[in-house]
Amino acid sequence: MKKLAIISGIFLIIMLSPFNSFSQSGKVTVPLRFDFYYTYEQVVEALKALNKAYPELTTLDLVGRSEEKREIYALTINNPQTGDPLSKPGVYVDGNIHGNEIQAGEVCLYFANQLLTKHGKNDRITRMVDKNAYYVIPVVNVDGRYHFFSDANTSSSNRGLRRPKDDDRDGLFDEDFMDDLDGDGNITQMRKKDPHGKLKTDPEDPRLLISVKPGEKGEWIMLGQEGIDNDGDGRVNEDSEGYVDGNRNWGFNWAPPYVQSGAGYYPLSGEGTRAIANYLYQRPNIIMVYAFHNSGGMFLRGPSTKDQGELLSSDIQVYDYLGKNNEMIVPGYKYLISWKDLYATYGDFTDFTDNIIGSYGFVGELYQSSTETYRPPAEAKVDEEGSGFFGESMSRSRERMKFNDHVVQGELYIDWKPYKHPTYGDIEIGGWVKMSSRLPHPFMLQDLVHRNAAAVMFSSEQTPEISMEVFEKTKVGKDLYRIRVRLTNSKAIPSMTYRSVQKKLYPQDMLKVSGSGIKVVSGGKLTDAYRDRVTYKEHKPEIQFCQVPGFGKVEYQFLISGKGKIELDYTSRKAKNVSKTIDL
Amino acid sequence: MIKKIFRLFKIPVALGFSMLLCLNWLSAQDPSNEYKRYHTPDEINSMLGKLNKDFPGKTALTQLALSPAGKKVMLLEIGPDAGKSAKTVPAILVVGNVEGDVPISSEAAIYLADLILNGAEVRPDLTWYIIPTLNPDGIMHYFNKPLKKDTRNGKPYNDDMDDRVDEDGFNDLDGNGIITQMRVKDPLGVWIPIPDEPRLMKRADNKKGEKGIYKLYTEGLDDDGDGQYNEDGPGGVNIGVTFPHLFKTYSITSGVWPGSESETFAMMKFTFEHPEIAMTFTFGSTNFCMVAPKGGRTGTADMENIKIPERYATMFNADPDKSYSIVEIMEMVKPMMPPGMEVTESMIASFLGLGAVVNPLREDLTFYNELSENYKEFLKEKNAEPKRLSPQSAKDGSFELWSYYHLGVPAFTMDLWTLPEVKKEEKEGSGLSVDKIEGMTNEEFIELGEEKLTAFLKESGAPAQYNGAMVINMVKSGQLDTKQIAGMMKQMGGGAEKKDTEGADPKEKALLAFNDEILEGKGYVDWKEFDHPTLGKVEIGGAVPYVNNTPPEFMIDSLLNLQVPWVFNLATKLPELKILKTETKSVGSGVHELNVWIENDSYLPFPTAMGGRNQQPAPAILVIKGDLKFLSGKPRTTVGKIEGNKSTKLSWIVQAESIEDVTLTIESKNVWGDQKQIKIGGTK
Repeated sequence: MKKLAIISGIFLIIMLSPFNSFSQSGKVTVPLRFDFYYTYEQVVEALKALNKAYPELTTLDLVGRSEEKREIYALTINNPQTGDPLSKPGVYVDGNIHGNEIQAGEVCLYFANQLLTKHGKNDRITRMVDKNAYYVIPVVNVDGRYHFFSDANTSSSNRGLRRPKDDDRDGLFDEDFMDDLDGDGNITQMRKKDPHGKLKTDPEDPRLLISVKPGEKGEWIMLGQEGIDNDGDGRVNEDSEGYVDGNRNWGFNWAPPYVQSGAGYYPLSGEGTRAIANYLYQRPNIIMVYAFHNSGGMFLRGPSTKDQGELLSSDIQVYDYLGKNNEMIVPGYKYLISWKDLYATYGDFTDFTDNIIGSYGFVGELYQSSTETYRPPAEAKVDEEGSGFFGESMSRSRERMKFNDHVVQGELYIDWKPYKHPTYGDIEIGGWVKMSSRLPHPFMLQDLVHRNAAAVMFSSEQTPEISMEVFEKTKVGKDLYRIRVRLTNSKAIPSMTYRSVQKKLYPQDMLKVSGSGIKVVSGGKLTDAYRDRVTYKEHKPEIQFCQVPGFGKVEYQFLISGKGKIELDYTSRKAKNVSKTIDL
Repeated sequence: MIKKIFRLFKIPVALGFSMLLCLNWLSAQDPSNEYKRYHTPDEINSMLGKLNKDFPGKTALTQLALSPAGKKVMLLEIGPDAGKSAKTVPAILVVGNVEGDVPISSEAAIYLADLILNGAEVRPDLTWYIIPTLNPDGIMHYFNKPLKKDTRNGKPYNDDMDDRVDEDGFNDLDGNGIITQMRVKDPLGVWIPIPDEPRLMKRADNKKGEKGIYKLYTEGLDDDGDGQYNEDGPGGVNIGVTFPHLFKTYSITSGVWPGSESETFAMMKFTFEHPEIAMTFTFGSTNFCMVAPKGGRTGTADMENIKIPERYATMFNADPDKSYSIVEIMEMVKPMMPPGMEVTESMIASFLGLGAVVNPLREDLTFYNELSENYKEFLKEKNAEPKRLSPQSAKDGSFELWSYYHLGVPAFTMDLWTLPEVKKEEKEGSGLSVDKIEGMTNEEFIELGEEKLTAFLKESGAPAQYNGAMVINMVKSGQLDTKQIAGMMKQMGGGAEKKDTEGADPKEKALLAFNDEILEGKGYVDWKEFDHPTLGKVEIGGAVPYVNNTPPEFMIDSLLNLQVPWVFNLATKLPELKILKTETKSVGSGVHELNVWIENDSYLPFPTAMGGRNQQPAPAILVIKGDLKFLSGKPRTTVGKIEGNKSTKLSWIVQAESIEDVTLTIESKNVWGDQKQIKIGGTK
């Protein structure tokens, strides 16, 4: 018995060996490499390595622990020479909230790696690092990433949080997973010879199946994903792990599970989602958020449901500026609206950050499988075709198969092999491996992580940069002065989102006038400097509440009596504070 | 002494119940604690501790949460599983003071615990989870000086989003220890004193020639000099509006997200970690025992009129322009589903994206309304028919609404007291109404006479030039008839539901009456002049906070004794599933048909209609154990909905060559469950 176990263990190792080309054993070193996928443990190792290599610029925080007690880490990148993290605009980047969407983690690691290894070498990156505070959580669903590597999966399984759910309502929880019957580390497909089936072997590629024409004799039926009836209820794979979807669990516009599948019983019921919500709430400086997923090639903005109504047009302008640039940075990716162009989701993460944290947020849907090409140069243009049996046309399926054969030497597809199934009898098992379809082959990973990190960098350069000038100082009476102050933002992102101004999410930015020998008699927003139009604030004129628009300015006018030094302080949660002293 | 007798005499009125009290409902049991005054959350926790100490085998005391101000939210478990991690019997979750401004609600919750432990006849096979005070910081506003009405916990919050946090709260300017109101003469004021009751104010009705005199403020200063008064007091969140049903993001007291507060989060977590909870009972300011949860909210999916989007309409063979009921759509979908797949309302609603339910479902209103009749009967038997004001409606984001809509269990609530309703004074008036006039002939109208008509016109607020003589002349001359007069008066608003004659809010009137008759003036502070630093001459006065929802202490134990035991009646109504009957039929060759009837041997359905809709709580499962081969059906079968006192039939076809011993078990956390042994099999 023991012998058998050893033999089957060896067998397993042999079977698993092809996947060494996707993942890597050995020590993680800085600069990080991006020609393989990091396991959960390696992601942690990579973060620790970055932290160790750049102790000045980074801090590694334990944000919380998952359902299975795995650590969720955040790497903060901040140059202390230019100030504390909270004094600067915050850029938050995360990925892999869906356990199977692993390349999102690599984008985060690559982004951190680029900022750190090129700080002091590349001028733009140096400025970018010195200007903002970056918070990077490469893996949100740590249990999901762990199990995606360690267990047999499809490219889509292991998405949710490990919170047991009785999917088939039989009183048992998570009792009928898929099963890796052939022990190859992947959950692929099961098919069975059946003359009444509606499929037959593709004459051009015997691994593929095509639909029979009316009247034609069938050859195969598909029996779904690899698995057996574990709980003997006559059904196969009907109650697998979870399912709470980490990206339906957030505390804004949340809807219960009967409205939004995967919502969880209550908002932020997930251990990790709640820990991250609190982490974000303690960092009110965050103005830009990127959350990476796979796949499809999209940069999505909110809202995630129609009933929220469209965003304010002034916020849309900001999104458009960033989104349209992203489309050019990452070719083929489209800048879209979540509910409208993809589908509606309640309890969505970026809706939460947009509305509760007061930031601008994009969801990056990484990778387009249409880039897996094998075609003559004249047709080299990448396209997206209609759906066939595998969600794509037959010609695309054949092409992807050739891509598998000749470009990645057969690493993405497992050919059909016979198997004796306890319920179905003689069947065949085969299909695309878990590391396919939604994930680029490692040789394409470098391009993907770089371009997407570049999109985040573009947005990072556009966080608000406010400058202050006193553009007029006039004596208008005995010991009475009129001063005019201008706040200018040289970047695209305003100092507060228009949404947070509208919803009074937090106190607006403040422009404060103070001085020991002076009194602010009146003050207000200067709406027309030429015709002297001012919206006066009746009480406490020395404090003006304001927002500085992107690529724009606001102006204030004060009537000040007295003499001496005047301190002008602009304070903001999201932008860097600015001060000036003038003499009367 | 005289005072005391006077008080006793006044009790029935004071309690808000019409008849004299019968002594037999005073104190049948002997509670461990005394209920003669209001207790602080710390004192309540000590009382819980005493119960726990007195009944160590039956109780377990745990800390559920810690409030921002450092108060412990304690949970007392009573029942056969107390202190054990495995729960074998259903439970009722009892919560008090979620809002934190109803002192008597915590007393009621702990009184209930006291009753259960001190021998009230309660079923022993039931767990009670009792949390007397979910919002301890909130209720501390009642105990702290100055007295002020506030529901918020101790988390700092910048209400007015200025440069400072919690900087402008109330100030007890007149030093009487009570925060009341300030009225200030102001040309922009909209309030005027009510002529017959100058202590009360009403909004000036400009159409009637009234001009506003006063502006009203709560008592205090403009501490931060921003022109506003008391706009940012200490504290943050009202736990009573923090639950995720109809949660209001951006509301000042709701917290930043549903469950952002430790009190709320602990409550939600606990509830879902305890699937044995079969009912919730909330002591607070609403009363679902008396009035069913309110419906009529718009914006919800109307289950009777659903439009099917075009992309699905073709699939269902339906007309996208027509409206269908959910039942009709289920019938369309059924044939398209694989055999054996259950089609539920919930599935259809979610498929069509109909959104969350926001009005109580019709079937559930049936039991709410029936039980409300029972409750009124229960009070009647104790000679205590309610003569009280209506309870409040449940708030968006409240615990009770969340219980009903998200937990899918029957959710009941009880406010224990309101001010006694003031009887409408039958003022000697004209005795006329617009409707009466509309029904009269012109001749009858003229016969009413000038005097009566003048009085009626005056009552109805008609302009002064319209007197009886004038109108009679117009009718006589044929310029007007009774229908036209009625129409005109309706237009002027005279036909609308007749407002209280003095224009006073009935609740305020009730408060004043109670103040004058029972509280000997302690419930209302008469207006007194005060020199305010920024507002100038003001008057400070008005209702004492909590007088409207907090009975005087001498009433506490009789109110609890009268009403709290109703919870026990509800406890007997919890659904209880039993195996009513089994039947086996041999079809031949070792194949047998097995039929099992499962009965709900109690009043309430399992689950509620809402529970059916949201797939909560977990279903009961009929488990068949034995050496059988299932030809049709499964060894674990979900028992669908069973109405109260009704049965359902489940069937299987099984194969067993020889006679087998088979165990049938109803597995469930919250409907008790049942077990039966049967024999099935053989080739005969």
